[in-house]
Amino acid sequence: MEFFERFAIPHPSPIIYASMVAIGITLLAIVAGLTFFKKWGYLWREWLTTVDHKRIGIMYLISALLMLFRGGVDALMMRAQLATPDAQLLDSQHYNEIFTTHGVVMIIFMAMAFIIALMNFVVPLQIGARDVAFPRLNALSFWLYFMGAMLFNLSFVIGGSPSSGWTSYFPLAGNEFSPSVGTNYYMIAIQIAGIGTLITGINFIVTILKMRAPGMKLMKMPMFTWSALITNLIITFAFPVLTVALAMGTMDRLFGTQFFTTGNGGMDMLWANLFWVWGHPEVYILVLPAFGVYSEIISTFARRNLYGYKSMVASMVIISVLSFVVWVHHFFTMGQGAMVNSIFSITTMAIAVPTGIKIFNWLFTLYKGSIRFTVPMMYSLGFLPIFTIGGVTGVMLGMSAADYQYHNTMFLVAHFHLVIIPGVVFAMLAGLTYWWPKMFGFMLNERIGKWAFWFISIGTCVAFFPMFISGLDGQARRMYTYSESTGFGFWNMLSFAGAVMLAIGFIIIVYNIYYSTRYASRDIGSDPWDARSLEWATSTPVPEYNFAEVPQVNSSEAFWDSKYNGHKLFSGKLKEIHMPNNSGVPFIMSSLFFVLGFSFIFSIWIGVAIALLGIVACLVHRSFEQDHGYHIPVEEIEKTESELRGGK
Amino acid sequence: MKLDHSQPLEYSSEQGRLNILGFWIFIGAEIMLFGTLFASYFTLEGRHGSGPSGAEIFELSPVLIETILLLTSSFTVGLAVHAMRLKNKKAMMTFFIITLVLGAGFLSMEIYEFNHYIHEGAGITVSAFTSALLTTIGTHGLHVTLGLFWGLFILIQVAKRGFTPETANKSFIFSLYWHFLDVVWIFIFSFIYLKGMM
Amino acid sequence: MKELFPLKQVMGFVFSLVLTAVALLVYFVDMSFALGMTILLVTAFVQAMLQLMVFMHARESEDSGLILSNVYYGVFIAVVTVFGSLLALIWGYM
Repeated sequence: MEFFERFAIPHPSPIIYASMVAIGITLLAIVAGLTFFKKWGYLWREWLTTVDHKRIGIMYLISALLMLFRGGVDALMMRAQLATPDAQLLDSQHYNEIFTTHGVVMIIFMAMAFIIALMNFVVPLQIGARDVAFPRLNALSFWLYFMGAMLFNLSFVIGGSPSSGWTSYFPLAGNEFSPSVGTNYYMIAIQIAGIGTLITGINFIVTILKMRAPGMKLMKMPMFTWSALITNLIITFAFPVLTVALAMGTMDRLFGTQFFTTGNGGMDMLWANLFWVWGHPEVYILVLPAFGVYSEIISTFARRNLYGYKSMVASMVIISVLSFVVWVHHFFTMGQGAMVNSIFSITTMAIAVPTGIKIFNWLFTLYKGSIRFTVPMMYSLGFLPIFTIGGVTGVMLGMSAADYQYHNTMFLVAHFHLVIIPGVVFAMLAGLTYWWPKMFGFMLNERIGKWAFWFISIGTCVAFFPMFISGLDGQARRMYTYSESTGFGFWNMLSFAGAVMLAIGFIIIVYNIYYSTRYASRDIGSDPWDARSLEWATSTPVPEYNFAEVPQVNSSEAFWDSKYNGHKLFSGKLKEIHMPNNSGVPFIMSSLFFVLGFSFIFSIWIGVAIALLGIVACLVHRSFEQDHGYHIPVEEIEKTESELRGGK
Repeated sequence: MKLDHSQPLEYSSEQGRLNILGFWIFIGAEIMLFGTLFASYFTLEGRHGSGPSGAEIFELSPVLIETILLLTSSFTVGLAVHAMRLKNKKAMMTFFIITLVLGAGFLSMEIYEFNHYIHEGAGITVSAFTSALLTTIGTHGLHVTLGLFWGLFILIQVAKRGFTPETANKSFIFSLYWHFLDVVWIFIFSFIYLKGMM
Repeated sequence: MKELFPLKQVMGFVFSLVLTAVALLVYFVDMSFALGMTILLVTAFVQAMLQLMVFMHARESEDSGLILSNVYYGVFIAVVTVFGSLLALIWGYM
């Protein structure tokens, strides 16, 4: 029995027990459903072993939406607890766990997955490629991320969630103050997902650099592809830092090393330093793809080419360097002195400049455009003012002397939510709506979508603007309650109302997906938005080989040119197509990583050993395997193409 | 498969060229990985707590032997790639085997060295300094260990299948990895050992 | 036999041994910390460039521009991380 005691929740409550039952029932229902409908073979052949970037993208998308709801429920519970003074809904420990998992789930498992979902689906199509450079590794990336996410969510019902914040600062996150396995979950689940992300980074850099259609020079890439390139560059160079920091944290907790301890020379602030060396570039990893999405959408629905293409590219390249030199502004109050703070204050101000350039470029694209107010466009237009407010308050925080006043207050919480929600969530919802017809062959309902937009954008403002005021009045972040005499009650009640509006907005989106799946027209052609870039040049649904013939490109808007300026994308000569084989190894290997991570978390060394052996066996298998893929003959391509064209 | 015969075998296939560029990008990530370890090491270098300092435990001779072993192995793996381009399978395999043997020699010296540190009372849990020291060197050692197995598998494949676009590509990428580990070691040698003993 | 030992690589190997010997000066010769660090920095980075250009064939392929900018970018970010961390965690308190 002693062995099993470690799996118990240290601080249980009826909600957690109810969730255990709910999770158990859901799992049983999934297994029963798959068995009843005889879908196991389908699941394995078409999804678990797939290396197709489009399917991997869709799996990322589904996971991201699931995580969005997990993180959203956390957020609602937090706002409900804080809505009134001295509330008893949650106790301090549960509140700590919830804000920790909210942050981690939203950043690592929702936002990252969402941007990678869109990159996976769109980038190869946009550059006219058949797949990514390393399809097998792409599958491995997804499954590592997925297993990391599942492992992290398991903490809720087995062993207890982490409770030291998404930043997990030491010494709070050390064994002394966080004795439960929660922080082990944090360290190891993020580590596994992070390795997957790093692989994605390398994969997409090579894909974008080497697999573009003929004629597509670097400066003729669509803006979303440019943003994906820069994002993956930052991923590749930022994630190793997280890998090292998490490894050190894990070693401190499990093996008694002294990196972040407070005795024997350990330095707790080294964790904060390394965390933000990764963490600040991470902000740009999230926001740059969003900028790419907005660039595509704004130029499509303003029916104008993007204003200032070169300055857009230049500003992203500058951001890729500057994002690595500003991290100290996350801990100005640590005590490192005016000199150091001034240096990082200046770099922080500097990074606002390229972002500002982009805002003006979008405004100039809109200027004199013939604007169509579709749902993606409305998110883009809503983004501009709200993001600017978030960004400008960021510059306030970046002034190190003033930051002593704002640091760790709700002012900061308001700032970064007003950056991340319009900067990432709006963009992802816009991108989802925009590319949905390419993914699934029908459009989301515009009218319902606009309702969702208004709830979400007004909800965002109502939820977070009051925090500027309560923050300046002195309300600290991460406090699970406050007394009535502080006067924070009104502002927090207002925030709660905004959070409820946001929740309603997301429920409307779910309803929209349901409604459109049932009722939307399937007869939409391959280019329902009258768009400009290559992903719309292939048929819908996209065949497994993407393009029957590799397109010939002459500008960043080759598809637009082919529609209106007489450019010829395809010569009509088909050749046989080489495709990669499916493989179960990425899934099996990632499952072993799950076992490895779980065993590490609970210090079950026999499990660690077995899983490691399995992982090594997968690697050895990969080394000796000879897999040359397969070829699709011309006749088959012609057959598929005529079916796809005939369906219109 | 379309092959471009104007290039060396390892570059001849499209996938081969992608693999090589991908591995270079991976090396970029590795630069950052070791950069972070160095940043941590330099930060914690002077923080020995109650444990020994670098100057008290470092010994020049094992470190120097390790350096020469690894430098030589880097040279021989370069010769192996050169022999591969001359299509000389026997020479390539000989140089490859020498590389792996030298690598194994390096690793045994490192194990001896770690043992020595533990005897001197500088185990990994003693102080921030020893944690950072052993983690940084250990990460490099782990890379060498992985490289030994990886190299062995490639050697078997070359022996069985001869030079094909795949085996040549793998051998070349292995050589990149091995040279990179040598570069990392030079930095460990200079800025951990020599700086510590200066 | 001779064709198996190209002059460029042999010279590169000899030069890397010489660089190691020069670096050893900081151990055997009594010198200031600043001078010692200068010697180490120079020898280490020259050695790295030597491996990169001579042994890793960084300049031979069609992608050499990409490869080199990738490596230089990585080195730049790594150096910034090292010195920035020292600035924020040690030098900032002096």
